[in-house]
Amino acid sequence: MGMTLVEKILANKSGQLVVRPDEIVEVSVDLAMTHDALGAHTAAKFNELGVAKVWDPQKIVVIPDHYVPNKDIDTARKCLNLKKFVREQGIENYYEVGKGGICHQVLVEKGHVLPGTVVVGTDSHTTTSGVVGAFATGIGIDEMAVVFKTGRLWERVPATIKINVEGKLESPLFAKDLMLFILSRLGVSGALFKSLQFTGSTVSEMSIDGRMVLTNMAIEAGATNGIIEPDDKLVDYIRSRTDAPFEVVKGDPDAEYAETIEFRTDDIKEPIVAVPPKPTNGVGVTEVEGTKIDQAFIGSCTNGRLEDLRVAAKILKGRKVDRYTKVIVIPASQEVYKGALDEGLITIFVEAGAMVGPPTCGPCMEAHMGILGPEEVSISSTNRNFEGRSGDVSSKIYLASPATVAASALTGKITDPRQFL
Amino acid sequence: MKISGRVWKFGKDVDTDELFSGRYIMGGDETSESNYQQFIGESGLSDVAERDNVPSNFLTDVQPGDVIVAEENFGIGSSRQQAAETLKFKGVRAIVADSIHRIYFRNSWNLGCPAIDLPGISQGFNTGDNIEIDLRESLVTNLTTGKEFRFHLIMPSWFIDMVEAGGLIPYHKALKS
Repeated sequence: MGMTLVEKILANKSGQLVVRPDEIVEVSVDLAMTHDALGAHTAAKFNELGVAKVWDPQKIVVIPDHYVPNKDIDTARKCLNLKKFVREQGIENYYEVGKGGICHQVLVEKGHVLPGTVVVGTDSHTTTSGVVGAFATGIGIDEMAVVFKTGRLWERVPATIKINVEGKLESPLFAKDLMLFILSRLGVSGALFKSLQFTGSTVSEMSIDGRMVLTNMAIEAGATNGIIEPDDKLVDYIRSRTDAPFEVVKGDPDAEYAETIEFRTDDIKEPIVAVPPKPTNGVGVTEVEGTKIDQAFIGSCTNGRLEDLRVAAKILKGRKVDRYTKVIVIPASQEVYKGALDEGLITIFVEAGAMVGPPTCGPCMEAHMGILGPEEVSISSTNRNFEGRSGDVSSKIYLASPATVAASALTGKITDPRQFL
Repeated sequence: MKISGRVWKFGKDVDTDELFSGRYIMGGDETSESNYQQFIGESGLSDVAERDNVPSNFLTDVQPGDVIVAEENFGIGSSRQQAAETLKFKGVRAIVADSIHRIYFRNSWNLGCPAIDLPGISQGFNTGDNIEIDLRESLVTNLTTGKEFRFHLIMPSWFIDMVEAGGLIPYHKALKS
């Protein structure tokens, strides 16, 4: 019996010929990422361990993104402590404000993440990096401190659930609609301690930007990781981003999957909106159409990429957003920002009456730049809508594609984007 | 290793934003253990009055040594370790739940606070019951009702030693010496 893609990576990296689901393995880490929200904490814990140097400064990437530019003294102080650690340890892969963006976007677009590797980050959405066929997952502060010391991680080998998607994914449906649809079937623990591997003709046809939505939100079903087997499109993408050598790992033809769940895009009859307070509460947009909103946010590691900004701009071009709705657009990285400037998208947003922010996680997890007040309602292209996730505990977040968010921005209520596309 | 204490019964879907709000993540001086522990301990569950999956008197009445027994999906969400730290610094000694999410599971054990997933366990406990957890025997007992429950944890062989050492950081410090 063969192994799935994830099993093969974990076998390679643990020095074993074979690994099986639910086995405990210890793997070598190829890339360890931290950011400002937990990086200073990680540094403090590392310093407690009593070793002078990290295992390999070349394998650590540090990207301040949550609270940048710093919003107050606490956030500035923690970023200073993190930068001090970066300098002491000789970590060259450090993205100061203005040079990077949201960590998950930067890791992929700067070519840090390679196929067949093990990636850990102090962030649950580290699963995003699985888009390149890597095993990528989130861990906490203490564990990252130990990874910094040893370069090793224990893992419970996740059985793989294959999510096979067939059919054309065309406007008005986007990657986000597909993923919210998939999550509505899986539930918040549908993939707990398992791996979600996305396959099928739909996934093959999707851009790298779109595929990242799938791996990004795998964690919302409780998955250990999300992963997509590399194809030519992915290999071309990586080669355009880095000269680093890599070897594509693929699953065996006779691998055993915990389950294969078939999806057909034809079954998604309309754009999907996840109603609060769970990302797995996806319903058709017409079920919630007309719900009054106070804020519309396009951005985040889920949907702040160029492809997302293009579709939002298509809808907002030559139109004005609702006069009482706060519309916020935050590109996921400096590179995305530059792309949006070059294509004239930023001008479209500004002319429409949207506020464009600098690359940051922003309001998604209640950091800054658009925190919700009591009873406020937001429609957002982000990944979580737990109670109080982006502000006051009584505020509400509806998750949707950038197209649905942009359409809603125009009317001040949740709106089916089809009339604008 | 045995842990015994008084039970707080939590509901389902306790998420990491609920346990520790994003607005406090950058607070507390991480270079001062006492300052950090005080800040994190006091800042957790800040919106608990609005939530129905945590007892309303938990924040005021939780005592060192207490144990949480929760329904499914405990600790969904973020990797923010503060979500697990705040319960530990409030004195919670262990968590047993119908299911526990992966990052929370790891974070809590790493702090020396065992997090045990045992499907159906929530039906065996009420707030105020006395619980005993025998880690090496994989046994949870409701001392109030006398009922016993066996668990099967999938974790590294050194995990209980780590808890006995006080958590992952003290365990690694001891490894060095």
